[in-house]
Amino acid sequence: MNLLEVKNLNTSFHIGVGTVQAVRGISFHVAQGESLGIVGESGSGKSVTMLSVTGLLPYNAEISSDSITFDGREISGLSKKEMRKLHGSEIGMIFQDPMTSLNPLFTVENQLTEPLKIHRHMDKASAREKALALLRQVDIPNPEARLKQYPHELSGGLRQRVMIAIAIACAPKLIIADEPTTALDVTIQAQILELLQGLKRDSRASIIMITHDMGVIASMCSRILVMYGGTICEQGDVREIFYGARHPYTWGLLNSIPKVHQKRGEKLVPIHGTPPDMLQPPAGCPFAPRCRYCMPVCRAYMPPETALSETHRVACHLMHPKAPKVTRED
Amino acid sequence: MDQPLIEVKSLQMYFPVGNNIFGRRKQLKAVDGVSFDLYPAETFGLVGESGCGKTTVGRALVRLYRPTGGRIIYRGTDITDLDEKAVQPYRSKMQMIFQDPYASLNPRMTVSSIIAEPMALQQVPQADIDARVRELVAQVGLKQDHLNRYPHEFSGGQRQRIGIARALAMRPEFVVCDEPISALDVSIQAQVINMLEELQAQMGMTYLFVSHDLSMVRHISHRVGVMYLGHMVELAEVEELYSNMQHPYTQALMSAVPIADPDLAAQTRRIVLQGDVPQPIDPPPGCPFASRCRYCKPVCREAMPDMREISPGHFLACHL
Repeated sequence: MNLLEVKNLNTSFHIGVGTVQAVRGISFHVAQGESLGIVGESGSGKSVTMLSVTGLLPYNAEISSDSITFDGREISGLSKKEMRKLHGSEIGMIFQDPMTSLNPLFTVENQLTEPLKIHRHMDKASAREKALALLRQVDIPNPEARLKQYPHELSGGLRQRVMIAIAIACAPKLIIADEPTTALDVTIQAQILELLQGLKRDSRASIIMITHDMGVIASMCSRILVMYGGTICEQGDVREIFYGARHPYTWGLLNSIPKVHQKRGEKLVPIHGTPPDMLQPPAGCPFAPRCRYCMPVCRAYMPPETALSETHRVACHLMHPKAPKVTRED
Repeated sequence: MDQPLIEVKSLQMYFPVGNNIFGRRKQLKAVDGVSFDLYPAETFGLVGESGCGKTTVGRALVRLYRPTGGRIIYRGTDITDLDEKAVQPYRSKMQMIFQDPYASLNPRMTVSSIIAEPMALQQVPQADIDARVRELVAQVGLKQDHLNRYPHEFSGGQRQRIGIARALAMRPEFVVCDEPISALDVSIQAQVINMLEELQAQMGMTYLFVSHDLSMVRHISHRVGVMYLGHMVELAEVEELYSNMQHPYTQALMSAVPIADPDLAAQTRRIVLQGDVPQPIDPPPGCPFASRCRYCKPVCREAMPDMREISPGHFLACHL
């Protein structure tokens, strides 16, 4: 069964000079217990997609969708008050920067027991017990002392662990992790990824992992959405994307990172140009201006989605039977 | 090998911290006894986690800091203690590309005046400056009509190109690239890396490439040094280091890099280090890595291991 199902989501922001169309008509789902990765560059709409689903966008955002169902329930029209009941209890969130997402004025105990008191109606003593157990679960040494500390007293890795402990406090059905390791050093990143993988094994929660790091995706996720210019250009399970990608943008992403056994002197293959301006998004495929296989039709019409397997879908005009056959170059 | 361009001999950079009115002020030992040589036209990668002192080494080498100890020898001349005036001739030979292309360009200056500034400071005649600016802009892949624009009109990748053009203006022999790509998107990173490589092939500069992106460092560097808590723990040619790493920290660091290949990632065992990097303020004696090392022996907590050459060109500081 699908835990989360989003149909035709559009999100735009009204700013002084016009309207930024950050997300343009995307549909996707997350199955029960699945870990879904969303990759894309900055400005591709990956974070805005998740903030739209959870209703956490600022006042100048305009969201429209055909439907957003979570756990069999329509949540697209819910009021702020009703959404709040979902936050922290059914949907846990982990953000990129644990310094700005934790409140500097409250202790770890205060912030960690808050969702337990509000959603689970625990009293102070039992919430504290649970908080200690959570800190142990996320491998924080000396949890009793940590409970009394403020965020600034913790290192980046510890803060992110506290953030994860808050996110899983009420055993949510869905955990959304938005670039959870981007602000961390590699050895700390490895610790946090290990922790998230452990959590995934032990609970039946679904995870949505938003990142720009193909390496993080490869080790964490079973299915991947590749976003570009506010649209999903390719989606598939992890092997289909890494070994059988069909969209030129996905090829570009995979080619522009150094390969594990790449020799010195071998050139990287960059994607030329820069991402599109979402104030005036192109009429056709958003990737057309940077695509080396671009055809006239690409600039005029948005490509339709072609299903290559049950999970693998590509939005590219090259999938048309009459289009030239091109394959990924290494 | 040739004569080294720069010799770094047990470089120390301590910063005083804390406002301890009574008694001794504490010292943050950002760099504590780092030695290595840089050869002409090579790229030396410097890797490590945040706070390990890699940026400080870069800044001390171009004399943005005055080192508190050790020697920096540039083509045979000791430049460690030269004062502002005496170091001026060397400034034009040593340049820096910064991490954040948003913070490192003056928003009130046009692109042409940004690129011209180092030449104006070195009293290059105005006519030569104009010609050189045009040449540089073409070299880094910007257009001539970008010259009169301001930094805010450019994307991150384009800004980094402006910063590179500025660094190359005086035809430096040595460029410190301090995390030049970490603020850029993946697809733009490859553009900038390719450009740095092409420029090096044309102009024969030496790069000190400071980064925490280990796969990019492997791609661009000839030799790589690994730093931890102000110390160089391992140094070798790039292929030697990546295939035959000896220091437990290097091993952990390398295995922590996520591999963008699901099958390989599933086969590889990650060594997960426990705990965080300790504070470099008044560190305990002994190996800096001892507190997180899996193979820690009593001697590691007592004495600092010396850097020794375990095979030609491969240096290691470890008691094991």
